[in-house]
Amino acid sequence: MKLTTVKEIAKRAWSVLKWKAVFLTALILVLVMAPLRARGQFGLDPCCAIISAGLNTVSGLLKNVVAKPLSQIQQIEQQAASFEQQVIYPKDAIKNALGLAGQLQGQLRQINQLYRLPINSATLRTPQQLEQALLSHNPQMLDQVSQNYASVYGTVMAPADAPQPIRDLVDMTDAEAQAALKKAVELDALADVELAAADQINQQIQNAAPGSAPILEAQASAWLVRANAYTQSGMAELIRVRSIDLANSGAQLKFNATDVNTLRNNTSQALGRGSK
Amino acid sequence: MSNRFFRTRALTICLVFLLVLVPVTANAGVGDIFSLFTTITGTLRNGVGQVLSGIQSTNTTIRNFEQEVVWPVKVINQARAEVSQVRAQFTSLAGQIQSIPTNSATLVSPKQLEALLRSQQAGNLGRLGQSYEQVYQSLPQANQATTAQRNLMDVDDALALGALKTATASDQASQQMLIVADGLEQQAAVSAPGSASILAAQAQAANLQNQAMLQRMLAAELRQEAARLAHTNALRKQSADANRTLRNNLQQILSR
Repeated sequence: MKLTTVKEIAKRAWSVLKWKAVFLTALILVLVMAPLRARGQFGLDPCCAIISAGLNTVSGLLKNVVAKPLSQIQQIEQQAASFEQQVIYPKDAIKNALGLAGQLQGQLRQINQLYRLPINSATLRTPQQLEQALLSHNPQMLDQVSQNYASVYGTVMAPADAPQPIRDLVDMTDAEAQAALKKAVELDALADVELAAADQINQQIQNAAPGSAPILEAQASAWLVRANAYTQSGMAELIRVRSIDLANSGAQLKFNATDVNTLRNNTSQALGRGSK
Repeated sequence: MSNRFFRTRALTICLVFLLVLVPVTANAGVGDIFSLFTTITGTLRNGVGQVLSGIQSTNTTIRNFEQEVVWPVKVINQARAEVSQVRAQFTSLAGQIQSIPTNSATLVSPKQLEALLRSQQAGNLGRLGQSYEQVYQSLPQANQATTAQRNLMDVDDALALGALKTATASDQASQQMLIVADGLEQQAAVSAPGSASILAAQAQAANLQNQAMLQRMLAAELRQEAARLAHTNALRKQSADANRTLRNNLQQILSR
């Protein structure tokens, strides 16, 4: 009877407390099983030794794997910087080179002035006019060269005054002589332009840096190529002048031969008439 | 009974939700700590250490390449020494060759003219005309030659004298250009690879100027050659004129 009562009481109690017990058990399990925060002060925590060992490893790695190479890299960079500053781009050498540019510009300008000195010397009016046009350095005066040339050297003779081959030769010779004189005026003007370009490049060099100097050098080289081409065209004109001169000498021999032949024929005709 | 059951269940569910949803601090187990350190050390060894080692190796290679192959100090110094050596060996030799006198006139007037022509002094240009006239004579008077002949002589003289003056000025310019070249060479002997490009640019600019001077000389030569050609041609024309005059005169004589 008593047992039955106890069982019943237990049964009733279970039915009442069942969910609470389950809840409490679960709560305890959660509290026990759940991971706690790691703590590392005063070596009281069991995890502290592990953390300490881990941090020591990390610290060692930072020292050996990171800090050492970084230090060496820094050393290499310093050496490279020092090498560049002392051997490749020393400031003094750069400063001296730039200083020389200023010094040379003064000398080059003096040289330019030498070619500006007057060299004219004609005394008569007509030759003076021709000379003025020839030494003008002004391509716009080329038309005047032809006019003044005709005034000094004359024009092609009239058809009645010379045979056609002679007139052709004279005309061609005049044409080449005038072309050469005009080319001389052009060359003088081109030389002025080149000197102005050289002067400007020189000015730029005075403010250049080692990195920008090759650009200016390339520009000067390009101008030099251009100048060479102009010189070449001047040389071509010179060759033409001399060729025409040579051709004139050859033509003179041919004319002489023709004249001798004509004379011979005329003489034989005259002698033939006389014998008859 | 049923109500109590439902209340209990609701309470339980609420508790569970509360436990699940309430934010808690992050916690780590021993395994997690091991895992974390393994990751960090792995990253340091492989991710950072290897890359740094690679950078160090590359930097060393670049430094060695630059210092041993591109800009070896020994070779740079050697080049500087060679510049000085070449300068000492050839510059003075070239100067001596250029200074050998080439004059040979023996009479007073030609000697004076020759001295002026080879003086390399543009300051003498004013005296050149007078000396030229002493040797090559002045123009005949108007009653001594035709206008055409006088014009021809005058322009011949002018172009010849102009070319001689240009040559004298050019001689002085050449001397100054040699000073420029010498200055560049001297500077090259103490230059560095980084400053040499500035000197090279200057040399190219001077070279351009030199080319312009050559063109001036070429222009003078062209004028000379053209004048010679024109002179010969003018004589042909004058000869034709003379023939015509002779022909006319003969016709007049015969017609009488």
